[in-house]
Amino acid sequence: MAEHGSPGRLSRLVDTAPLLIFALLLAYIAFEAHNFFSLLSFKLILNQSLPVVIICMGLAFVVMAGGDDVVSGGIDLSIPATAVLCAGIIAQWLATNGSLPVAVALAAGAALLVGAINALLVTRIGMTPLLTTLSMFVAVVGVNNVVTSSRRINVSDPVILWLRDGQIAGVPVGIPIVALIALSFYHLAHRTRIGLNMQAVGGSRDAAETSGLDVKKLQSASFILAATTGFIASFFVLARGSGSSPGVENNLMLEMVLATFLGAAFSGRRVVTLWGAVLGAVLVAAISIGFKSMGVNVFWTGLIKGSLILAVVAFGALAQRGRR
Amino acid sequence: MSNRLLHLDQVTKSFPGVLALDKASLDIRSGEVHGLVGENGAGKSTIIKVLAGVYVPDGGRLTIGGRVIDPITPESVHAAGVRFIHQELHLVPHFTVTESVFMGQEVRGRFGLDTGGMRRRAEAFLRDVLAVSIPGNRLIRDLGTAERKLVQIARALIDEAAKVVVFDEPTAPLASEECATLMHAIARLKDRGISILYVSHYLNEITDICDRVTVFRNGRSVSVFDDIEDSTGQDLIAAMVGRELEDLYPENRRTPQASLLELENYSGTGFRNVSFRLRAGEILGIAGLIGSGREELIDTIYGLRRSTSGTLRLRSRQLRMRAPKDAIDAGIVLVPRDRRHDGLVLPMTVSENVTLATLDAISRFGLENRRRARQQTEEQISALDIRPSDPEKVVRLLSGGNQQKVVLGRWLLKNADVYLLDEPTVGVDVGARSEIYALVDRLAKDGSGVIVSSSDPGELIGICDRIAVMMRGEIVSVLDASDLSLDHLISVTTGAEPTEAAHG
Repeated sequence: MAEHGSPGRLSRLVDTAPLLIFALLLAYIAFEAHNFFSLLSFKLILNQSLPVVIICMGLAFVVMAGGDDVVSGGIDLSIPATAVLCAGIIAQWLATNGSLPVAVALAAGAALLVGAINALLVTRIGMTPLLTTLSMFVAVVGVNNVVTSSRRINVSDPVILWLRDGQIAGVPVGIPIVALIALSFYHLAHRTRIGLNMQAVGGSRDAAETSGLDVKKLQSASFILAATTGFIASFFVLARGSGSSPGVENNLMLEMVLATFLGAAFSGRRVVTLWGAVLGAVLVAAISIGFKSMGVNVFWTGLIKGSLILAVVAFGALAQRGRR
Repeated sequence: MSNRLLHLDQVTKSFPGVLALDKASLDIRSGEVHGLVGENGAGKSTIIKVLAGVYVPDGGRLTIGGRVIDPITPESVHAAGVRFIHQELHLVPHFTVTESVFMGQEVRGRFGLDTGGMRRRAEAFLRDVLAVSIPGNRLIRDLGTAERKLVQIARALIDEAAKVVVFDEPTAPLASEECATLMHAIARLKDRGISILYVSHYLNEITDICDRVTVFRNGRSVSVFDDIEDSTGQDLIAAMVGRELEDLYPENRRTPQASLLELENYSGTGFRNVSFRLRAGEILGIAGLIGSGREELIDTIYGLRRSTSGTLRLRSRQLRMRAPKDAIDAGIVLVPRDRRHDGLVLPMTVSENVTLATLDAISRFGLENRRRARQQTEEQISALDIRPSDPEKVVRLLSGGNQQKVVLGRWLLKNADVYLLDEPTVGVDVGARSEIYALVDRLAKDGSGVIVSSSDPGELIGICDRIAVMMRGEIVSVLDASDLSLDHLISVTTGAEPTEAAHG
C-alpha cells in the first residue's frame, strides 16, 4: 500500500521548473546585456547579494524548523525589518554619540527582542508565523521610522566604510566574510544536533515530539537565529547604502522570500536548505542587476519579481501535492 | 514468578463518566512475546498509555525488573528500558534513514556530528538485528511502508538499552506480504532476549507469534492464556466478547429490491478488486480492522479519493467520481466518521447546518428563503427528535448523538439513492444510538440503499442485511447477517478464521 507514486516526468518537471525559469531569464539577460558574465559583474553581483544572502539563511532556519507549508508552516517576514532597524539604530547612534561598540550592542539587543517576541507569539500564544511576522515587520519598520525620524542617515564610520570599500586580494572584503558566516551557519544547520533537530521539528512535529525533542524550544531558537541574521545583515545594509535609508526593507523582503523558496529547487530533497537559500539569493541578485544593466523600468522589475515569487511558490505547492 | 520482567498490577484509571481500567493487570516475562487483545474500548490503549506515562493512573503500580517505577513518566519508563513502536510511523519524509534512526539521539563527532559513524551503526543495526539491508542515505519517502516501520523500530532500539518493546497495531498500515518482514524482525528481537508486548486486533498474528496472551474486556484483564499453542482464535474471541447482542436494533427486516449500486473490481489507494452489489431497500455492512481499507473505500465511492481501476455503476449507469459534488449529484451522500471536522459547521446553528446541502432547493435568485429553511429544519428536528428542539441552537453545544442526527437530517432532505454511513455511532450515547438505527432502517424501507461501515460488530449484525468483511484492502467474505453470531463475525474480521476471497 505504498501511497507515494513513482516520480513521473511531470513531477520532475514541476520540481525543476523554478530553476528552468531562472536559467532562461539569466540567458536572456546575458544575451541582452553585454559583459554580464564577466568577472567584474560577478563580483558586483556577489557584493550586492550579501544582505539578502544573510537574511535568507535566517529565513531558511525558520522554514526548516516550522515546516515548508507557506501558510501554516514556518516563515519569518520580519527579518528584513530587523536588519533595517539595526542599521537605523547604528546609524542614529553614530550620528549623535559616535561610539560603534555601544551602537552595535543596542542593535543586537533590539534584534534579540524582535526574535524573542516572534518566538513567544508563535510557540506560546500559538499564532501562525505568517501573520505574526508580517505584523512584526510593520511594527519594526514603524519603530525604525521613529528612531531615524524616517530620514536618510549617512554613516562614515571606518569599519562600515571598510566593509564597503575594503578588498582582500582584489575581492571585496564582504564576500569572504559572508562566506565564512555562511559556512558556520551551514555547519550549525546540517552538522549539529540542534540543526538536525530543528529540521526534524519542521519535517514532522509528531516525529520530533515522540523522539523526545523540545519542539517549542527548537522553534523559538529558529526565530532567535533569524533575528540574529537580521542583525548581521544590518552591517552590509549600511555598507551597501553608505548609511541607513528608509524603504530598503521592502525590496529585501521580496528578494528574501523569492531566494529562499527558489533555493528549495536546488536541494536534492526539494526542501528549503541553507545552501539552497544562499544560491537562490545570489541568483536573485544576478537577475536584479541584470535588469538594471538592461535599463528595465523599476516598476516592471517589481512586477517580474512578484510573478517569480508566485511561480516559485506555486510550483512548490504543486510538487508537494504530487508527493501526497 | 522468577522471570517476570514487567508487571502492571491492579491498575485503575477513570475518565469523567467512564471507568477505562478496573484493576487491570499485565505481566510480561523476559524474552517472551506477549499478546494483548480485546475489543475496541476494552482498555488496551488506556493501559498502554499508562505504561507510557501519558496517563496518570488512579491506582495500581508498575514494577520493572523488581523495581517499582514511581512516578510513571515517559522519562522513567524509558530509563527502565521500555520502548514504544507507535501505530503511526512518525517519520520525516525528507530525512535519510540514518537521520531518522538517530533523531533526538544524534552522535557528536569531532566536527559537529559523527555522520559516518551513525550511518554505519544504523545500517549494521538494520542488517544484524532486523535482517534487512536499507542504505543509510536513502530518504524515508522513497521507502515502502514495511521498511519505514523497521526504521521506526531501529530508532526505538538503536541505543541497545531496550528490555521491553511495545508494538501497538504494528501491521495495521501494512499489506499482507509486508507483514512477514515485520514478523521476522520481531522474532529476531525475541532471539536477542528482548521482551515484546504485542497489541493487535489481528488474532491470527497473535496466535502465530505470541507465547502468552492477556485478554482485556470492559477495562479488566479477564484471562491470561499461558500456553497459546493449545488455544485457538476462537478461544480468544470467547474471552474477548463475553456479551450478548444489545437490544437496540429495529425488529423487522426489509425486503431488498432492484440492484442500485454495483462495484466491479473497484480499486484505489488502500483497497483493491472490490466487487459487490447494493440493492434498493438494503443495508450493507462493511466490517474490517484498522488498515482494512474500509475508510478508503467509502471515501473513494464518495469522490474524496480517486479510484484507480474498476467500475462503479449506479442504476446501471457507469459513473466516475472526481469530487464529492459528482457523488451528491448522482444521488450518493456520505455521513462522515469525523462529523466534527467533515460533517458540521460547528459555530453555525442547527437550522443553517440542516439546510446547508439543500440551499439550492429553498433559494430563489440566490437568496435563501429563511422561512422555508426554518420550516424544513423544524420538520427534521421533530422527525429525528433532535434535542434541544431549537433550530437556532449552535451545533457545537449539542451532544454527540444529537450532532450526528443533525448530519443525518441534512442528508434526509436530499432524498438520496445511496447513503454511506461511516462509523455512524462513534461517540454517540446508547439512547441516541437506537434512534439513529431506527432512522437508518427507515431510510432503507423508503427505498434507499445504505452502506454502513463500522468497527462495532454488534451494530453491523443488528442493522445490516449482509456484511462484507474487508481485510488488508480486499473483501474476504460476504456474510448474511440474519443468523450471524458475534463470535463468527469477529473471527472472520480478525483473521482468526481463514477465509477464501469471496464476492457478492
